[in-house]
Amino acid sequence: MRSQTATAKETERDLIALAQQGDRQAFGELVRRHREGVVNVVYRMCGDANLAEDAAQEAFIRAWQHLPGYRPRSPFRNWVYRIATNVALDVLRREKEVVDLDALPLVNPGKGPEDAVEGIELGQRVGQAVLALPPASRVVLVLREYEGLSYREIADALGIPIGTVMSRLNYARTRLRQSLALYLEV
Amino acid sequence: MSEHVIAWLEAYHDGELGGRRLQQVEAHLAGCALCRAELEKLQVLAALLQQSPAASDLTSPDRFVAQVGLRLPRRPSRPAWQRALLVGWQLTPLALLGAWAFVQTVFVVAGVAGAALQLGLGGDLAAGLLPALPDGSVLGELFSLSDASLNDLGRVALRTLDQGGPLGWGVTLSLALLAAIGLLYWSWLASWWVFRRHRQFGASDRRNLVSG
Repeated sequence: MRSQTATAKETERDLIALAQQGDRQAFGELVRRHREGVVNVVYRMCGDANLAEDAAQEAFIRAWQHLPGYRPRSPFRNWVYRIATNVALDVLRREKEVVDLDALPLVNPGKGPEDAVEGIELGQRVGQAVLALPPASRVVLVLREYEGLSYREIADALGIPIGTVMSRLNYARTRLRQSLALYLEV
Repeated sequence: MSEHVIAWLEAYHDGELGGRRLQQVEAHLAGCALCRAELEKLQVLAALLQQSPAASDLTSPDRFVAQVGLRLPRRPSRPAWQRALLVGWQLTPLALLGAWAFVQTVFVVAGVAGAALQLGLGGDLAAGLLPALPDGSVLGELFSLSDASLNDLGRVALRTLDQGGPLGWGVTLSLALLAAIGLLYWSWLASWWVFRRHRQFGASDRRNLVSG
């Protein structure tokens, strides 16, 4: 019996093949499946939800344009993330590191007002610390910590060697441990 | 106690270790409070990072998909001549292989037929088909001219050229054709490699990441 994951991958392959031939509906389904991940990657990179949605749309448009050249050797998600991180880097260059603090935190509705305020502050601090990282390290951290990609997948998505992934991740974590030292007392 | 494994802790924390290295790190962690503390710091940092919430108040998936759909440019389809060119380019190695096989076959068949006719196996056919054979090989003639004048040497050189070099027209032509086929194949291979790299991801995307 074939597993559900295998079937889903197969279906995605069919969608990609159709979209490569110009099927917009198939591409729409791919967009629907990867929207959340792409928006979040860009959001973690630039810190502004509205900007992230625009950039995510831009990433999907670029993906549509480059789709005929896509070869399914690497997962479609990694390929789209690669485009999305490039778009995010372009946005950062254009907008000169937009950090909209109002857009960063979310209030967990299950908590009381004080906890919520603390949660907001903590969320802000963590978000700011991540945004303060150099883009090259930030993108590796985002893909590892928030999207759960393996080193190999990150290397594949960013087109860099695994050793570089490890060193950038190490740099990012070391910087975060310094900037978030107050919250890290074990 | 074995050496500290701090250098491997991140990879261990990220689930990237396997085999002997994993066993080594786990065995060390069981007996080393310092490395355990380092690992705990990594775990606390990972938990802390999750406190930063994901993007909220996003456009609904349907609306997002619709917006992307509206912004999608029309993808230009290749014109017929470009498609034909692409197919021709992709079939180039087959054509070169065919050309190589043809040249080799002609060379071998001609050699065998020539040898057979010279041995008299072709009977009267040889007289009609074989060109007038030279009096001796050109190289042999050159060796016999050890005390010849410059005029004699020039005459032999001209004759050598006339016969297509010391190996004769047939062999020289075959070698030249094989060299040309080889050169074309390597050129195709190089262009294929460049084409493949170019198509895999957009050139600008690669440039961005390298500089980022």
